This record gives sequence, structure tokens and C-alpha cells, in this order.
Amino acid sequence: MHFMPVTMEINLNDLPENHYIVVHPLDDIPEEKVDTETLGPIAMTTSVKLSLLALRSYLVIMVVLVLYHVLDLAGLFGHHS
Amino acid sequence: MQTEVLAISTAGTDAEVTMVRGKVVRSKWAHSILTFLMVFGPGLIVMEADNDAGAVSTYIQAGAQYGTRLLWLLLLLLPITYFIQEMVVRLGIATGKGHAAMIYQRFGKWWGAFSLFDLQAVNFLTLVTEFAAIALAVSHMGVSPYLGVPFAAVGLIVMVITGSYLRWERITVFLCLFDLGWLLMACKLRPSLGVLTHDTLVPGVPAGGLTASLTFLVIAIVGTTIAPWQLFFQQSCIADKKLRFSDLKWGRLDTFIGAVFTITVAACMMIVGNASKLHGIDFADPAQMANALHVFSGEGIRIGILLLMINAAVLGTTAISLSSAWAYGEVRGWPHSLQLPFKQAKGFYVTYVACVALAAGLVLIPRAPLQLIILSVQVLAGIVLPSAIIFLQLLLNDKELLGEQFVNKPWNNWVNWTIIIVLLALSLILAAQVVAPNLFPSA
Repeated sequence: MHFMPVTMEINLNDLPENHYIVVHPLDDIPEEKVDTETLGPIAMTTSVKLSLLALRSYLVIMVVLVLYHVLDLAGLFGHHS
Repeated sequence: MQTEVLAISTAGTDAEVTMVRGKVVRSKWAHSILTFLMVFGPGLIVMEADNDAGAVSTYIQAGAQYGTRLLWLLLLLLPITYFIQEMVVRLGIATGKGHAAMIYQRFGKWWGAFSLFDLQAVNFLTLVTEFAAIALAVSHMGVSPYLGVPFAAVGLIVMVITGSYLRWERITVFLCLFDLGWLLMACKLRPSLGVLTHDTLVPGVPAGGLTASLTFLVIAIVGTTIAPWQLFFQQSCIADKKLRFSDLKWGRLDTFIGAVFTITVAACMMIVGNASKLHGIDFADPAQMANALHVFSGEGIRIGILLLMINAAVLGTTAISLSSAWAYGEVRGWPHSLQLPFKQAKGFYVTYVACVALAAGLVLIPRAPLQLIILSVQVLAGIVLPSAIIFLQLLLNDKELLGEQFVNKPWNNWVNWTIIIVLLALSLILAAQVVAPNLFPSA
């Protein structure tokens, strides 16, 4: 492996044949990503609505379980040691 | 391969010349390898940091109770962890933004605030358990936790606030590779290769049958292997590293290597736990097991387990704290990059420092309610993981956001919805067992 510890300028168009340039992502020119700013909220399709409904139901069940635990700890069900 | 350090003008016109640093190589292979090495990092870190203090405890307990009979479960979890994190890679590269920011933008403030609050809560409580493990390990090494815990906290803060993403990444990758110590220990304990191969490839229920304790241990292993902070962490990490569209395949490879590495290390932890079963050792935590095991396996094993416990907790802490800081910074609109110096991203760094310092401080309070904290982590994780994964799946089907190129293919959706339904059910059972143990018959 041969290293040339020099910094030189080169134009991509002048790159010799069979030579490839590797640029670290942090050193590269920022590329244009998907524009999320102008999109707004997601479209409420049937699958999105169903998924969010399932999530809400799941969260309600979890809240009920936690509530049950709190009431159980408080001795409301009469069998807490 | 010939490598040169260059300044390259990439634009074609004289009026618009942009300089970037790069290296020139003379073969496609060298180009591919070097590009991969530059992209490599987030995938390995997110996976291996998940083998945190809680994971060490869970896998060792699994080995101590059931030997290597649950290794097949780890093999099953390998593609599952990969498929979930691969979605994160696509989303991160396509949008250049973190998961919290995307939930806010596409699902509104309520769901955004809900996800962020839950994430911060479960992350903080998990951090407390990480520092509790550090305190436990250092005390077994004869060092006072009042010295060991602050020392670890300061180290964790210093490695992040230097204003260099690459410095943090290199240190963290080194810590990940340090976990290969589990592999060395597993080899030193000389497990039977025939048994290991059988238990890895042939699914089966350990002797004693399907008891409640086995069921919950299986759920705990699944919950340990797939954690909610991972989704937020890797997407933000990819955005911070500025991975490009062309880096997608290398990001996927990085994630796959990370998944294989992590599952291998987890299997080694199980093998170490198996040693205590073979010697009939009872223990309450991995540090206690390390002390008992050294009689049979030597001082090296004892020190090794304790050091690797600390390493696991340190890795978990840096990744979890960063996922909190990135998520909070994204939502608040603060500058939030490891590339920025402290002065330019105060909010981001202060969030990280606060997470680390408060969790470390809480552990040092005498009679802190650690058992309550561990219980809360399990319940909150059961809430955060399913919701975060559902949002991820919906975002990956959002053609308006990602276009045809990055959205899930139909087979992706079949696989992912199956994983989500299983995780929802397992999370619900685990949370139900934690908050309402009376509902379940004892083992």
C-alpha cells in the first residue's frame, strides 16, 4: 500500500480511468433529503386509522393494568399481603 | 490500493466549486471496503449497546436456569432485530432526521409528546439501572461506588462533549469490540460444541416444561433484545453522521454485522451463565455469580465478568443518553449534533449531561428504590416499544414521505406486522405480569 501524504486538488471530471474517490459522509457535500417540512400530517388512510386505534386500545389496557396494580397495592381487593 | 488525501472540486462549473476531502483508490473493491468502513458504526453500536447491564443479567440468568437450551431463541431474534433496525436505517437516510422529529411531523403534537415523554422516562429509569450495575460491579472489585460511579459518569460525559462525532464513534466501537471478552470467557469455560450446535439449531422447551417462569424469561429475553431507545438512537445517529442515499447498502450491512455480533455476545453470556448451573451456584446478580464462579474457573473469569458488566453499562448509558438528547433536541428545534462544539449545541449537550449525572446521582442515594425503578422500566418499555414500532411501520409505508424507493415492500410489511403483533402480545403479557402478578398462576 502506498500513501502519498500530500493534499492536492483534483476535479472529478479529470479523474483518471479506474480511479475512484471515497469521501467520508461527514466530509461530503450535504445531499438533498426528502422534504418533510412542507408535508404536514400523515394521510389518515384506513390502515393508519386502524393502527392508531389498535395502539390506543393497547394503551388503555396498559393504563387499566397499572390502575389495577395501584388499587391492589392499596389493599382494595382485600388479598394484598 | 493507492490512497491520496485530496481536496476535490466536485461541481462542473467554475462559478460553483465545492471542496470536499476524500481519498482516491484504484480498484472497485478498495472503494467498496473503504466506503463501508467509513459508514460502519451506528449499526454495531446500536446493537451491541443493547447488550447493556439489564441484558447481561437476563442472559446470565437464562443460562443459569436453563443452560444453553434457549440458544435457539437468540438465533430466532437475529433476523427480527435486523428487520426492525433496517427500517430505521432507511428512514434515517431518506429523511436525514431522527425518529422523534418524524413522529411529531407526521402524527402531530399529541403523539409526538406522548412518544417523547415515554422515551425520556423509560430511558432515564434504564440509566439508573445501568449505574446501579456499575456500582455493584465496582464494589465487588473493592472500589467504593462513591468513587467508581462518578468516575464512570465523568468519563461518559467527556467522551461526548468534545465536539467530534468520529471521536465518540471510535471510542464506542472500541468498547463494543471489548465485549468480545464474553467470547473468550465462553471459550475458556469449554462448553460442549455438540450441545451448543443442537441447542442453537433445534428449538425446544427446557426440562421442566412450559412454566410461567420460563414464559416470562422468554419474554424478558425478547424485550431485552429489542428496546425502544434503539429505534430513536440509530435514526438520529445516521442523521448526525449524514449518511447518504448511496450508503444504504453499507448501512444495512453495518446493521446486519451488529445484529450477528450482538446475538453472538448474548449467546456467550448465556454460556457463562450455564457454567454456574453446571457448578450448582446460586446467585442474585451477575457480580455475585462472578465471585462464586472464580473458585472453579479462576480469578480471570471473576474480573472479566465484573469488567464486562461495567463495559455493558457504559455502552448502554452513552447510547441511551444520546437517544434522549437527540430526540429532545430534534423536537425542541435545538442544534443537536455531536459534530458541534458545546457552545453551539448547549441544549443537546446539557440534556445528555443531565441524563448521565442525575442517574448516577440517584444510584448513590442510600436506600434508593431500585426495585421500583426496575419494575417501572419494564412497564414503561412495554408501553413505548409497541407504539414506537407502530409509528415506524406506518412511516415506512408513507409513500408521500418516502416515495416508492424507500417504502416497505409487501414482504417487508408481512414480516414486520407479524413481528409487531408478537411484540404487542409479549409486551402486554410482561406488563400484565409485572403490574398484576396475582392474575397469573405461579410456576
